[in-house]
Amino acid sequence: MNVAPPKPARNWPLLIGTIAFLVGMTWWSGHGIGFSLTELLCNLAGGQRLLQESWPPDFAFLPRLYGPFLETIYIAIIGTVVGGILAIPVAVLAARNLTLGRVVWFADRNFMNILRTLPDLFWAMMFATAVGFGPVAGALALSVFTIAVISKLWSESLEAIDMGMPEAVRAAGGTWLQMIQFGAIPQGLQHYVSYALYAFELNVRASMVLGLVGAGGIGMILETQRANFEYERVTMIILAVLVAVLLIEQLSESIRKRLA
Amino acid sequence: MSTNPGLLKPQKQVGWATWATFIIGALFVWSLIAIEFSPGRMIQVPGQVARVLSFFYPADMAYGWSAVLPAIIESIQIAWVGTIIAAILSLPLALFGARTLFPRIARFVKLISATARAFPEILLAIYFVPIVGLGAFAGALAIGISSVGMLTKLGAEVVESIDFGPVEAVEASGGSRILALRYAVVPQVLPEIVAHWLFRFELNIRASAVLGVVGAGGVGGVLLNTLRYRHFEKAAAVLLLTIIVVLIIDMVSGEIRRKIIRG
Repeated sequence: MNVAPPKPARNWPLLIGTIAFLVGMTWWSGHGIGFSLTELLCNLAGGQRLLQESWPPDFAFLPRLYGPFLETIYIAIIGTVVGGILAIPVAVLAARNLTLGRVVWFADRNFMNILRTLPDLFWAMMFATAVGFGPVAGALALSVFTIAVISKLWSESLEAIDMGMPEAVRAAGGTWLQMIQFGAIPQGLQHYVSYALYAFELNVRASMVLGLVGAGGIGMILETQRANFEYERVTMIILAVLVAVLLIEQLSESIRKRLA
Repeated sequence: MSTNPGLLKPQKQVGWATWATFIIGALFVWSLIAIEFSPGRMIQVPGQVARVLSFFYPADMAYGWSAVLPAIIESIQIAWVGTIIAAILSLPLALFGARTLFPRIARFVKLISATARAFPEILLAIYFVPIVGLGAFAGALAIGISSVGMLTKLGAEVVESIDFGPVEAVEASGGSRILALRYAVVPQVLPEIVAHWLFRFELNIRASAVLGVVGAGGVGGVLLNTLRYRHFEKAAAVLLLTIIVVLIIDMVSGEIRRKIIRG
C-alpha cells in the first residue's frame, strides 16, 4: 500500500521562466563586464606581486594618520547629529498615522525614497563641488545620508506605535505638534536612539572613504597613497580603518543592546 | 497647584538622557570647531548649493542617453555578477554557519563573515583594480566578496530559526546530515534567503554606482568626471537617470521579495 502523499505539483512555466531569466541575466552581465576566469588566473601572478608589495604594512606611517582619522570621526559626528535632527520631521510626516494629510505624506514619502536612491559618495561629490573640497563637504553629505537612513527606519516604527496616547492628547485639546511631542515621540524614542547609533556606525564607515572624492577625512590620504602606488601605506591605512570601524561598531552595538 | 492637590506634575529628574544630550552636544560643537565649520561658513552653504544646483538645469539628456545610460547598465551588470558570486559562495557558508546545525564550524564561519563585512567594497576594489586591471570586472569581484559576509550572517540566522521537525524526520528514517540539509533545511530557508539576495542586489546597485571613483567601472566615474570638469548639465543627467533607474529596480525587487516571502 502506498501511503506517501502525492508530490506537490510544480509550476513549470514559472520555474523555467525564472531559471531562463537568471541564466540570461547572468550571461549578459558577465559578458558586459568582461568576466573571465582565464583573465583572473593570468593576472593572479601580478596580484601576487601587488600583495607582496603591500605587505608588511608601513607602520612608520601610522602617526601621520592620527589627524585625518580624528577628522573622519568629526565628520561622522556632525553628519549624525545634523541628519538625526532633520530626520525627525521627515520621519513623522512619512508615518501614515501621524502625518498631516495625504498630500504631505505622499510628497514626504517620495522625497525620502529619492534621497535613498543616491549613494553617500554621490552626495559627497556634489557637496565637494558646491562648497569646495574638505571636511565640510563630507559632513554635509553624511547629514543627507543620515536623514535617508533614520527617517526610513523610524517612520516604520512610528507607524507601529499605540495610537491611544496621541489620541488622548488630541482629545484633551492638544495641537498637532503637542500630539507628536507628548503622544508619539516618547513611544518611538528608544527606536530613534538605536537607529541614530546605527546611522553613526554607517557614517564612520562611510566617512573613511569620503576622502576618495575630496570630502575630507582619512580617505584623502588613502587616495594620494593609492595614486602613488604606495601599497604598504595603503595597507596600513586600511588596517587602521578596519580596527577603528570594528571597535566603534562593538561599542555602539553594546549600547544598542543595553537600550533594547 | 493648591486648588487641585491630587494632580501632581511628574517630577523632573536629571537622567541619563540629559547627560547623553549634553555630551553629544559638546562633541558636536567640538567637531564643528575642529573642522572649522564656523557660523559664517554655514550661512554661505545654502547659497553655494543653490548656485551649483542652478547650473544643473537643464539636464543634458543627449549625453544621458549616449554616455550615462550605458554606464548605469554597466553598474547594474556589476551588481548582478557580484550578487551571483556572493549568493553562490554564501549559501554553503550560511548552512555551515548555523549554530543549531554545526556548532563547532559555525563559530569559525561567523568569524570569517564578520571580517568580510568590515571591509567597505570600495577598499576591496582598490586592491582588485591593480590585480585584474581597471574596469567592471574588478568592481564585480569587490562587490561579490564584500557581500558574502552579510549574506552569510543573514542566511545563518534564517537557518537557525527553522523548524527542526523535518530534520529529525529525515534522520529518523535513516537519512544522513547532507540529505537532511537537502530535503529538510534548504526547502525551508530558500525563500527567505533568496529575499535577502534580492535585498543585497538593491544595496549592490548603489555600491557599484560608487566604484567608478577608483576606476572599477560603472556610473560613479562618469559623475566624478562631469563634476570635475564642471559639466553640470551632464552631471544632472547622471543624477536624474541614476535616481530613476534605482527607483524602478527597488520597486520591482521589493515587489518580488514580498511575493517570495508570502509564498
